[in-house]
Amino acid sequence: MRRALGALLAAALVAGVALFVHRPGPVDAQGGGTVEVAVTYNGAPVVEKLKINKDTQQCGTEAEVDRVMVGSNKGLANAVVSVPTAKGAPRMVKATVDQHGCKFVPHVSAMMPGELELKNSDGILHNIHTYSTVNPSINKAQPKFKKVMTEKLEKPEFVKLTCDVHSWMLGWVAVLPTPFFGVTDANGTAKIENVPAGKQTVEVWHETLGKQTREVEVKAGQVAKVGIEMKK
Amino acid sequence: MRARVHRRGAWGGQPCSTTLAPTREASLTVGHSGHPDYTGLAGSPSPARRFALVALIVLVFVGAGIGAAFAQAGDAQAGKLVYERKCALCHGEKGDGKGPAAELLVPKPRDFTTAMPSWAVLPEKDRWNLVAHLKTLAPDTFKEAPKKLELPKEVASSPESIRRGKEMYEAIECNKCHGTDGRADGPSRPELKDDWGNAIAPANLTMPWRFRGGSAPVDVATRLANGVVGTPMPSFIDSVEKPEDVWHLANYILSLGPRTLTYATLVSVTNVSDAIPDDPDAAFWKAIAPNHIALLGQVIVDPRNFNPSIDLVSVRAVYHDKEIAFHLTWDDPTQSVEDAAKKTYADAISLQFPPQPRPGPERPYFLMGDASDGVYLLRWQNGKGVTEAAANGPTKIAPLAGSEATAKAVYVNGQYRLVIKRPLASKQPDRLTFQPAVFTPVAFQAWDGGAGETGTKMSLTSWYYLRLEEPQSNRRFVVPPVVAILTFAALLLVVRVANRRA
Repeated sequence: MRRALGALLAAALVAGVALFVHRPGPVDAQGGGTVEVAVTYNGAPVVEKLKINKDTQQCGTEAEVDRVMVGSNKGLANAVVSVPTAKGAPRMVKATVDQHGCKFVPHVSAMMPGELELKNSDGILHNIHTYSTVNPSINKAQPKFKKVMTEKLEKPEFVKLTCDVHSWMLGWVAVLPTPFFGVTDANGTAKIENVPAGKQTVEVWHETLGKQTREVEVKAGQVAKVGIEMKK
Repeated sequence: MRARVHRRGAWGGQPCSTTLAPTREASLTVGHSGHPDYTGLAGSPSPARRFALVALIVLVFVGAGIGAAFAQAGDAQAGKLVYERKCALCHGEKGDGKGPAAELLVPKPRDFTTAMPSWAVLPEKDRWNLVAHLKTLAPDTFKEAPKKLELPKEVASSPESIRRGKEMYEAIECNKCHGTDGRADGPSRPELKDDWGNAIAPANLTMPWRFRGGSAPVDVATRLANGVVGTPMPSFIDSVEKPEDVWHLANYILSLGPRTLTYATLVSVTNVSDAIPDDPDAAFWKAIAPNHIALLGQVIVDPRNFNPSIDLVSVRAVYHDKEIAFHLTWDDPTQSVEDAAKKTYADAISLQFPPQPRPGPERPYFLMGDASDGVYLLRWQNGKGVTEAAANGPTKIAPLAGSEATAKAVYVNGQYRLVIKRPLASKQPDRLTFQPAVFTPVAFQAWDGGAGETGTKMSLTSWYYLRLEEPQSNRRFVVPPVVAILTFAALLLVVRVANRRA
């Protein structure tokens, strides 16, 4: 009886924590507005292609690295948009990056300082080799039997992910000082919800096109649209 | 933004950060203001620099073998003086890796862990002073105490441990860079870059005497567990099945080659009575003792070769009354033929002799002779086979007509094994006839075409001597007993004559 009660209690605890962990959006976003960012790029997409000489079963025979991905209406994908001027309680969501098909999936992810989960669903040796300035660099092997690894990125920074075994693999993790962020989709848009009302700054970062900012007036319960064009 | 900050940061000096990936895209950043810049902390050194420094410091510790005394304070000013005298030549006055000798080094001097020797030769006080000085170059990094790597309890080498190590070597795919047999010929080799974007080669695990970090099991296990900072070599302590696997791996790696080599001073050619096999992998060759010959980069004439790929050739040589044969073994991580598009050249090796036996000690100039005194070459090139050639200097090589030499080569997992054969006595007057019991000068040259070596970009030796050991006849078993019997008979005769007279 006591054991069953204990198990029930543990289950409830786990469920509670899980609920907390998966709770979307900032906690104190009462009276916030939505910021919709449309990022465009007035240039051609940049795709690097190269022949693959190993692990072709997992990686294929040709690697395509999207350095600049442009979708419909010149929308720029894989740009990180955030509102660094807006403060809020930390989002307890762990970022997860999978090494799948010898690519980092997603190519760009965003998180608040905390833990990054690294999956290896390829089942071959990869090594997570990060390039960073304020966070300690990581260079850890993830052999086929190591399905999941967790690493810490504790300071805001754009961290580059590489793999030395497969030199074409490239990914980015944006560690942001604010819970108000998003990554643009294939059409170049991202929606940030529950942004505190007031004058805010929207920042766009792209791995090859750099950074731009815009001022925006956020009103409670309304959608503020921001268009930002990135240039070479 | 970030790139600019680096350039006028605490480090000053050259914009070496242009080779550093995270700063390249940052330098494209368009102006922004009005909120704190959280991507580039002003003045903080790049990770590359910080890690190189950490690596240097770790090396100073390792060299000193006094890791325990971590807390000892040093005098940064005094350390600076030692640095300027002993380190700046490679690492630069400002620690930016741009010292005057930097361009000659591979890996580039930022990568202390593989390009920097031990400085145990310095007085201990100087080493601690150096540590204090280097810490001032990256103040942010050393705010927190370093984490100490704890290795699991050492596992002594044994056949079981080596077997487990091999299993792990395959499971964690060390071969991707280091190759199936550890000869640094893995498929990822051509892609490898250090943290500063310079090409870097994996270690050849069959040659532990080259390991910069030392070849004791603890040295190898430490590098496996921790990785080699600044290089593609990752940390494996959390990525092996059990922590003690780093010891099994170290034991396996150290079983791949001898710990040290004894280099030959004379190439002795064994007399054989059997037919000499063409196949380099024939059991015949395993019974012949190898002569290990060290090669160096050619740095006398332009273009020079400061970082030769091939530094060892093992020579087995035999002859009988008709033929002489050379069995050569050397490691080359890339099997290559001439390919203008890929900028690669044919892998090659050559044996050099004077064109004629000559009395006295005078020999042609060792670098393929000169205009007045040439050399005779047995030259093998991948894809072309062996030719006999005459040379009057490294750029004046002419094939000899009617070549009598033959060759057969195999290339397996980063290693060439080659047999070159030639008649002992040449019918041609322009090439050497090999004579038993004579010291014949011999020299070697080698080219790794995949590393861009061709022409004067080679590795070579000075003159060695070759000696054809004389056939061991049966006379030594016959003559002494005959002499003994005759002496005994003479003795008997003397005694008998003496007795008769008495």
